[in-house]
Amino acid sequence: MSNNWEMVIGLEVHAQLKTSSKLFSSSPNLFGSEPNENVNFIDAGMPGMLPVLNWTCIEKAIKTGFALNFTINKHSVFERKNYFYPDLPQGYQISQFEFPILSEGYLEIDQPDGNTKKIRIERAHLEQDAGKSIHDIDPKFSFIDLNRVGTPLLEIVSYPDLSSAEDVVNYMSSLRQTLMYIDVCDGNMQEGSLRADVNLSIRKPGGELGTRCEIKNLNSFKFIRQAIEFEFQRQIEVIESGGSVEQNTMLFDTSTGETRPMRSKEFSHDYRYFPDPDLLPVNLTDEQINQIKPSMEELPHQKIARYINDYKIDKDISKIIIAEKENTILFEKMVNESDVNPKNIASWLVGDIFAFVKEKNLDVLNLLEYTKDITDLLKLISDDVISNKVGKEILPQVLEGKGKPNELVKKMGLEQVSNTDELEKIIDDALLGEEENIAKFQGGSDRVLGYFVGKCLKSTKGKGNPKLINKILLEKLKK
Amino acid sequence: MPKKQSISSLVNSLKEKKISVHELFDQFHKVAKENANNSYNLVLDPDYQKSNLEISQERYSNGKNLPLDGIPLGIKDLFCTKGITTTASSKILSNFIPQYESFVTQQLLNDGAIFIGKNNCDEFAMGSSNETSHFGPVVNPWKNKNSPTEKLVPGGSSGGSAAAVAEGSCVASMGTDTGGSIRQPASLCGLVGLKPTFGSCSRWGIVAFASSLDQAGPITNSVEDAAYILNSISKHDFNDSTSSNHPRDDYLKEIDKKLDHKIKIGIPSDYLKNVTPEIIAQIENTKKSLAGYDIEFVDVTFETTDYALSTYYIIAPAEASSNLARYDGIRYGVREEGGNLDDIYLNSRTSGFGDEVTRRILIGTYVLSAGYYDAYYRQAQKVRRLIKDDFQRVFQEVDFILTPTTPNEAFKIGEKLDPIAMYMNDVFTVPTSLAGLPGISLPSGLSANGLPLGVQLIGNYFQEKKLLQLSHLIEKELSFNE
Amino acid sequence: MSEIDIKRISYLAKLKLPSEKEEFYSQSLVDIIQWVDNLKKIDTSNVKPLHNVTEATVSIRNDDIEKNNSTEDVLNNAPERAQNFFKVPKVVE
Repeated sequence: MSNNWEMVIGLEVHAQLKTSSKLFSSSPNLFGSEPNENVNFIDAGMPGMLPVLNWTCIEKAIKTGFALNFTINKHSVFERKNYFYPDLPQGYQISQFEFPILSEGYLEIDQPDGNTKKIRIERAHLEQDAGKSIHDIDPKFSFIDLNRVGTPLLEIVSYPDLSSAEDVVNYMSSLRQTLMYIDVCDGNMQEGSLRADVNLSIRKPGGELGTRCEIKNLNSFKFIRQAIEFEFQRQIEVIESGGSVEQNTMLFDTSTGETRPMRSKEFSHDYRYFPDPDLLPVNLTDEQINQIKPSMEELPHQKIARYINDYKIDKDISKIIIAEKENTILFEKMVNESDVNPKNIASWLVGDIFAFVKEKNLDVLNLLEYTKDITDLLKLISDDVISNKVGKEILPQVLEGKGKPNELVKKMGLEQVSNTDELEKIIDDALLGEEENIAKFQGGSDRVLGYFVGKCLKSTKGKGNPKLINKILLEKLKK
Repeated sequence: MPKKQSISSLVNSLKEKKISVHELFDQFHKVAKENANNSYNLVLDPDYQKSNLEISQERYSNGKNLPLDGIPLGIKDLFCTKGITTTASSKILSNFIPQYESFVTQQLLNDGAIFIGKNNCDEFAMGSSNETSHFGPVVNPWKNKNSPTEKLVPGGSSGGSAAAVAEGSCVASMGTDTGGSIRQPASLCGLVGLKPTFGSCSRWGIVAFASSLDQAGPITNSVEDAAYILNSISKHDFNDSTSSNHPRDDYLKEIDKKLDHKIKIGIPSDYLKNVTPEIIAQIENTKKSLAGYDIEFVDVTFETTDYALSTYYIIAPAEASSNLARYDGIRYGVREEGGNLDDIYLNSRTSGFGDEVTRRILIGTYVLSAGYYDAYYRQAQKVRRLIKDDFQRVFQEVDFILTPTTPNEAFKIGEKLDPIAMYMNDVFTVPTSLAGLPGISLPSGLSANGLPLGVQLIGNYFQEKKLLQLSHLIEKELSFNE
Repeated sequence: MSEIDIKRISYLAKLKLPSEKEEFYSQSLVDIIQWVDNLKKIDTSNVKPLHNVTEATVSIRNDDIEKNNSTEDVLNNAPERAQNFFKVPKVVE
């Protein structure tokens, strides 16, 4: 169907910065408050109100600059982008235009063939978020909530280096992960903390680039994928039926999975950017920029490298852990406060612990208070006090805080039987009347060994130390 | 003109209990409430001010009076005053009641001042004659002695402030100056008008016209009164990013200090090229009056004077077009209904703004629009730098610059219909505004028609103290008020 | 001086000029733009634009929350509201 067409995509990602207050006002930067609760006179665009820059936003931009290999510009300027919309109280958005704080960065994404691809990023600039118009309360009216007005955004604009929905999702999730790691953005896409505008055009391989359309405001990976697939096919159909793609801003309808052009405007936009006379330029010194460096958190790719090199953890498992920053916090706490082999911790984490978290729909960080218990449990296993199987059985109770592992083990009588005398007796009992099978073993059939081990474990109700049982059995059988 | 009472004499009378705070307020309130010259959009009555008056009186009784305690002041209706309608003389804000107090008016309140009311002004401070107000023109209390029935303009945009001080309905009034809006009306009403250095007085809570130029300042009867007010309002404000944290002087202290060193005053010959002999005479009189002092007058020439008005009439409307985008009838102000949202915008704004404001929004929108930005807006910003540099070059040679304030005396209401002719009123005040320098207009004499004329003294950045000292000297020597 | 597209300019400024006044504003705009055209004579190729006479760095604040007003303070000048929302005719995108 795509008849050799390929897509060329650039992404504009809006990341809400994780701050206490807004970009230019001291109102709370909070999601989910009562309507217009987090609005002061500045946010509401009242006459005579003036913006004052929140320094933390500059710091977060600088951190992003380090993390995404940007040039951090010492001179940046806030400008006004002028347009009218009910959720834009000032009648302009304060943004950066000619002099953004960051330029020319890049991010590397994984390709299906195992290679990485470098996605170049043209710029990133600070700007104010707009409020929200709510259309579905009343059939005739829209309701305006200005809580989101002035929330700091970092708009990260990539070059058109992406060539598939897969690329876009990889780029976006890698970006999200990085921003979360450096504490710049909470990454909550459902709450709109991270939104993407997709610029898509099509071409034949080596052919001329078509006209691009911009799909606005996508806030989930699923929607991004759907919107791209739909828009790609739409543009192909337009061209193959002899038409031409019109430069347009598209909306994505989440209910139908289709894109449609926004209501066409009589005149094209003209934002009349000019430097905001209420604000002076941001002039940074080398010192100010370098001061941020020591506070930089370890980035995802740096963590993977460390896990592999220092902890000898497999790449795949490392990747699962670093997928969310919370995982690494939990993991590293366990590694740091115990002498359990990190590799062992890692495999329990991505196995039973994550399964438990998923099943109970928990926040990984809820487990932080039980890290000592978890590693104690792992230690009981590695010390052969309990079996792996028993460990798995007890784990959920440990994770729910129902008790200390050693107490649980005692209370439930689950200590592994490692007493040789006791085991010898059990094995002797098990071998009673099994002359036929013993003969089979001595005749060379290894399978019989498993049968005997199983029988012994059954009679210890799973508490027998399988390694010991194995050893004693072999000794007895070879006699 | 009514007898002028200085702030210091009033404070003394109040201290000595020759008059009570209430009596003083009533005395001015009586004139204000007549509103004979339409200089108020709103007059606050004694009942409204009751508790403020009482507290002020109490402080006098306790001997703990504040610098401006009980002094009745007018406030240009561009300053947001908490709980008091603030209109910017525009229909679109005619019902707006701010829930906050501007930084500058808050300082005045903190120093004990009592507000008489909100002074009429040009709509959004756009005008030079106070004729663009939604609430009608202000009349200059001064009359042409050869045609005493003619109604004259008080100048603008702080025309109501100037008329109010001149008619004796307040001791002083707070104005704002973007391109001459304090100095020009002060000159046309025979008063002192001070525009401080940009960044001296916070713009927080002042309805914005052109943010890079707007500056608050007093219109007063005397230089000393101006110093009283400046002491109160010139402070660093954290909430205005362009507010300067330059240390402030005590402007009142040593205001009458004798000149103890030689000073040089530059007179720009290019300012005097096309003006009437009457205007040139103001400069000559001022020079003559200072003959006994160690002051040298030197001719200076600016290279950019011819471009200042053009620069101003690009930059100011550009900023205004954006500053006035917030007036849309959605969150406050007057909404004109319409079938859909766009109609509300269009109807509210079209009907809410008067002709001059509409014109300036259109100019500003045009010079910022794609294809014209570089040719007009950016070019104007570059020329603005040349103007600033030009002043700095001249200030290498001289300590102050002396110019006329206006090219003419007060004119008839309705006389100047052509916008460009009107804009020419600001030809001597606009360059100072573009450079952000402090300028003061001092009454210097009367025209043949018996109307006041003024001279402008310009100082270097944050040199208000020296500027006021020299102004005080000139005031004394010209003895305009006697 | 090229013609000024007064319709486009007023559209951008969200103003609906009454047709009888369109010519008035249009002429006025042409006059003023012609009047300021003298700036083009100045060679500014080596001059940096001056946005503000204070060219220092923007003043900054710490990331602290301050709350000095109620929701009601923000809403009580609203021409139309519904509970704690501002209310406008339906926005069609």
